[in-house]
Amino acid sequence: MTTPFSDPTRALPRSLRGVWSRAALTLCMAVLAAMPAVAALPAAYSPLVVQPVGGPARAEFDLTGALARARAEGRRLYVYLGASDCAFCRRYEAFLAANASELIPHFSNYLIVDLRSSLAVPADRLYIRVGHQSLPYAEFQRSIGDERARQLVYPSVWLFDASLKPLMQMPAGTGTFQTVPEQLEILRLEQ
Amino acid sequence: MIWKNAGVWSLMFVLAFPVSTPSLAAVGGLPTKTAHTDSSPEWERLREKIFQARPIEVHDSLVQLIVPLRAAYGASVPVGVVSRLPQTEARYVKRLYLLVDKNPSMLAAVIELTPEVGQADFETRLRVDEYSHVRVISELSNGELHMDSRYVKTSGGCSAPPNRSAPHLIGKTVLRVPDAVTMNQPTPADVTVVHPNDTGFELNNVSVMFIPPHFIRSIKVSFAGRKVFDAELDFSVSENPTFRFNFVPHGAGVLRADVEDSKEARFAGSLDVP
Repeated sequence: MTTPFSDPTRALPRSLRGVWSRAALTLCMAVLAAMPAVAALPAAYSPLVVQPVGGPARAEFDLTGALARARAEGRRLYVYLGASDCAFCRRYEAFLAANASELIPHFSNYLIVDLRSSLAVPADRLYIRVGHQSLPYAEFQRSIGDERARQLVYPSVWLFDASLKPLMQMPAGTGTFQTVPEQLEILRLEQ
Repeated sequence: MIWKNAGVWSLMFVLAFPVSTPSLAAVGGLPTKTAHTDSSPEWERLREKIFQARPIEVHDSLVQLIVPLRAAYGASVPVGVVSRLPQTEARYVKRLYLLVDKNPSMLAAVIELTPEVGQADFETRLRVDEYSHVRVISELSNGELHMDSRYVKTSGGCSAPPNRSAPHLIGKTVLRVPDAVTMNQPTPADVTVVHPNDTGFELNNVSVMFIPPHFIRSIKVSFAGRKVFDAELDFSVSENPTFRFNFVPHGAGVLRADVEDSKEARFAGSLDVP
C-alpha cells in the first residue's frame, strides 16, 4: 500500500509527475552508470578474488595461493580489501572502472587480489592467512611493519612482492590516489 | 627577539587561523600537480611575518626534510630533519621551524638548539590536515636561513581521534637512549610524552561538540644541567609527542625533560646516563 509519503510524486500536480519520474529515473541511471555492476574490483583488471572463510566467527582471507601465483608469474601483488557495503570502496572501484583503459597497462606487473569483506567485519575478526599462519588484522599489520595496525579502514590496499615483503607504506583508505596520475604514483612506488 | 617568551605564543595565535585561499583542484578537489619546492600563499604570509625580507637559501640548503609523499594516517606523518653541518661553537643550527602550510595552525614547532646536540637532526610526527607542504627552516647562529620542503598527500590529521585508552597516563614522560652511549659524540635519544594533543577540531560523536584543544606547549631537554634544546609546540604535533634528537655526553649525567601543556600542567621525565 502506498501513502503520500512513500510516493513523493503524488504531492505534485499531475502535469509535473512525469517530469519528476523522468528526473528520478535519469538520476538513478546516472548513479548506476557511475558504479560497477557488483561490489568488487572491475573484471577488466582480472583480479584474483579471495572470499573469506571461517564465518561467522571470523573472516579469514588466505593469501597463500595469490603469493604462489605471483611467484610463478614474476609479479608483484596489489591486494585490495573492499567491503560490500562501503561507499568509499564503490567510489574507488568506479574510479578504476572509469579509467580502466588508461590504468590497466600500468598494472601489468601486479597480480591484483580482491579481498571481499563487509563493514560488519571489524579488525579483530578479520584474519589474513599465509601458509600455516593466520593472524588477526592488527597482528598481521605489525608482523609486516605496516603502520596501519591501529585502525582497519575500508578500502585498504597493500603492495607486496611475491614473498610478502611490503613494497611501500600505504595510506589508510584510497582517497589519496583516486586520480590517474596519483594511481600511477602508487604503482611506480613513488614516495 | 621575536621567539622569546610570550612573543612565541602571540605569533602562534596569529598564525593559527590563516585566511584560506582558493587553489587549483584536480578531480576530488585536491591539488596534485604540486612540486615539493613550490611556495604557497600561506607560506608567503608566514614567511613575511617571521622572517620579513631575510633571504632563505633553498638551492644549496644545509637542511634536508624527509617526509613520505603519503603517510599511513594524516594524524601521524613521520618527519625527519637532517642538518648538513656539524654543530660547533663557531657555527651551529640555532633554531628549527617546522611548518605545515595548510594546517589550521601552521607553525608546528620551533626548536631552539645549542651545540650540545652535536648534530642537529630531529625526528618527530606531525598532523597534516590536507594536501600540503611541510617545511623546515633552519636558522644558523650566524643568521643564515636554510629551507627544505616536501609536499604531502594526506588528510584529516587535525580531526582524527587520538587513542584515549589510558587517560591516567597523560603526562608520562619517557626518555630513551636506544643505542650505546658514546662519550663526546652525538648520541641519539628520544623523548615521548603520553598526551592526546587534542587539536580542538575533533568532534565528540556523543555530545556533537568539539573536544577542546589540549596539547603539549613545550618540551625542554637538558643533560647534566646543560640545555640541549627547548621546543615550543602546537597541536600540529601528533598525539603522544615524540622527538628523536642527539646529545653529546661528556660524562655521566641525567637526561631530563620538562614538559608543559596548554592547561599549564607540568610533567617531567629523566634518565640516568652512565
